[in-house]
Amino acid sequence: MGNYYDKLLKICGFEDKEIKKEKLRIDKAFERLKLGPEDMRIAEEWVRQNHDVDLVGVRKLLGAWVRELIDLVLAKDEGKKIVYYGFPSIQGPGMAIKAAAPDELYVSCPDVVLCHTLGQIFNKLTPVLEAGEENGLPPGHGLCTLQTIRVGGLAKGIIPVPDLVTASSYYCDMGSKTDELLHEKYGHRTVYVDGSMDSRWGEYPEYLPQRVEFLGAQLNKLFEAVREVLGVEVNSEAWDKAMSTSRQLFRSIGQLTRLAMADPMPISSVETGLALQLAAGSTGRAIAEGPEAVDILCQEVKQRVDRGIGVVEKGAPRVMNFAASFSDPTITHMMENAGLAMAATLLTVPPPKAIQLTTHITPGEMRAEREMQVGLYHSSFGLVKRFADAVRDFNLDGIIWGYQYNCRPLAQPSHFLKKWVEDNVGVPVLSLEMDLYDSRNYNAGALRTRVEAFAEMLRVRKTVAKI
Amino acid sequence: MIVAGVDIGAATAKAVILSDNKVISSSIIPTGYSVAKAAEAVTKEALVRTGLSICQLEYVVSTGYGRRAVPFANKALTEIICHAAGVNSLMLQARTIIDIGGQDSKVIGLDDDGNVSNFVMNDKCAAGTGRFLEVMAVVLGVEISEMGTISLLGKEPCQITSTCTVFAESEMVSLRAEGNSRENILAGIHKALAHRIAIMGQSVGFREKVVFTGGVAKNVGIRKALEDEIGLKILVPEEPQIMGALGAAILAKTELASLTEDNI
Repeated sequence: MGNYYDKLLKICGFEDKEIKKEKLRIDKAFERLKLGPEDMRIAEEWVRQNHDVDLVGVRKLLGAWVRELIDLVLAKDEGKKIVYYGFPSIQGPGMAIKAAAPDELYVSCPDVVLCHTLGQIFNKLTPVLEAGEENGLPPGHGLCTLQTIRVGGLAKGIIPVPDLVTASSYYCDMGSKTDELLHEKYGHRTVYVDGSMDSRWGEYPEYLPQRVEFLGAQLNKLFEAVREVLGVEVNSEAWDKAMSTSRQLFRSIGQLTRLAMADPMPISSVETGLALQLAAGSTGRAIAEGPEAVDILCQEVKQRVDRGIGVVEKGAPRVMNFAASFSDPTITHMMENAGLAMAATLLTVPPPKAIQLTTHITPGEMRAEREMQVGLYHSSFGLVKRFADAVRDFNLDGIIWGYQYNCRPLAQPSHFLKKWVEDNVGVPVLSLEMDLYDSRNYNAGALRTRVEAFAEMLRVRKTVAKI
Repeated sequence: MIVAGVDIGAATAKAVILSDNKVISSSIIPTGYSVAKAAEAVTKEALVRTGLSICQLEYVVSTGYGRRAVPFANKALTEIICHAAGVNSLMLQARTIIDIGGQDSKVIGLDDDGNVSNFVMNDKCAAGTGRFLEVMAVVLGVEISEMGTISLLGKEPCQITSTCTVFAESEMVSLRAEGNSRENILAGIHKALAHRIAIMGQSVGFREKVVFTGGVAKNVGIRKALEDEIGLKILVPEEPQIMGALGAAILAKTELASLTEDNI
């Protein structure tokens, strides 16, 4: 007699041999997560309805996420020292920390892992959100729901208390304030990586060298803490290893996103999102399994492109969706069912070419300079310039600016940015208030009217433009 | 060519029957609990006067929040698109539509061809909707149909500070206790609602001609308050509440014509 989770795990690309070998771990993790037979039945249906499981690459990505979840839940049991980082975060430090001691450390963004697994695979994120609300982050206060998930996961005991947390307050203060409260409750060490996202409108792509120095010093402080708390040295060797392994992953993802831009759109952006966010949320399975999964998916998607197979009609209006929902695939599907080809997200827009303008002494400064150049963390103007680049590079008909309603850096300029793009770039923008992590108040039904009207508007524009 | 547009809103269901280019009948009923039943009932009521039955309709477009639950609809389109089509059919020079319904409000920008060029909606908060007025009517003991007329008598509108319908309800109690007249309180309520719409609509912009649709358009006080806020004259169709259904019917005619053309 098989296990109650066999069917689901096989849909997620697990082989019988692996299930047998990992049975004890899987049993323990699912028990802690309180995932029983009924949850598996619901998950099977949910995954089949919402993920393109005809594609082996998608199954492998789902499998990578499930394994990451199991690794997360059992990290302390298995004697790992645990480091959590927040989202969004500067790419690189997490990977470098992991690369410094891959067998000793577990490093991830647990909130992102829970969204993509309990949300996208098991459709059971609500209990975690409710636990977060009951344990310090009540609803109705405009608090970041990604933090609510972190608080809820710890409160329910499904994610272990970490040894070290890096609080990414350079982007938003909510993460770091939550970590401060969690430190009080759980006693773990927190390292604050502060920065400055403020600059004069129009300054980008220029930046003050002092910003590089400051953020670089903050990142270096993080590595000192890793040495002190975990006894692990994040040296240049670890950095090089992290950069070379992640480069492979990002190259594969880059190829996937380029293929996904074909007309008709050959794959849902739910699936490209699985790959992109795996790179953001995981440092273990992302590197171990991500490249292979994405390479297989690229081959399968290429076949669809060659045969003209699409998940959206050919000629559909092409839009950039700021970001696909992390936890609820039905929202992205609703947009695609409205007849929109999600040609890009903010994360798939290629960054500008790297140029070294300041003198780097440390890896932290090197990383900090790169962040200034990419634009997302530079300023609101840097962010909106990426939108403008996307319209040009991806030949977009419009933008869905699905901003996180409770995220100050995104919500505050949301309407201003819409107007700027419309006036300066010349494409319509749908300013869509939503929650990328918690769709209870922003579900597909609630957002549908705006998205469908926007889609219709773009179709008419395309038709008129052709005449 | 007999077609219909059915608009199922949160509060009311509307139907318009079109024969060639002429509206031959329309109907409005409360939506109630069952969207499907409301859709059937309002369509049948509209058809009674025509002597036709639902199965004789050649094409039906549904719209409104309940648009996907109308079993006999051939196509579902958003109320934004339908309101634009409805208003454009009556007023070719319309460039801005303000639609305030029971539970949401919209500002829709039209280009010179009458197509939707921009829009903004507020359906998360009741403070800019007909629901706000309904709640205030109960608190102040007036009929909804009289609110607008009475508000025009208020020469010193009270400042309504709450942005939430529920908290504004509490504020009404305080305002009455302080001895403010009903007229001035109502004037303040109308001004508050209009102000919210004006701010919301800034991202679309207000261009003439401005047309006001939805059930709240029957309120002369809101119309006046909106004119004061945006500084432009506002036009109200004879039947502002059926603009969505009218637009849906017009789009039904277009859809049917293109299907017929394809067949030929």
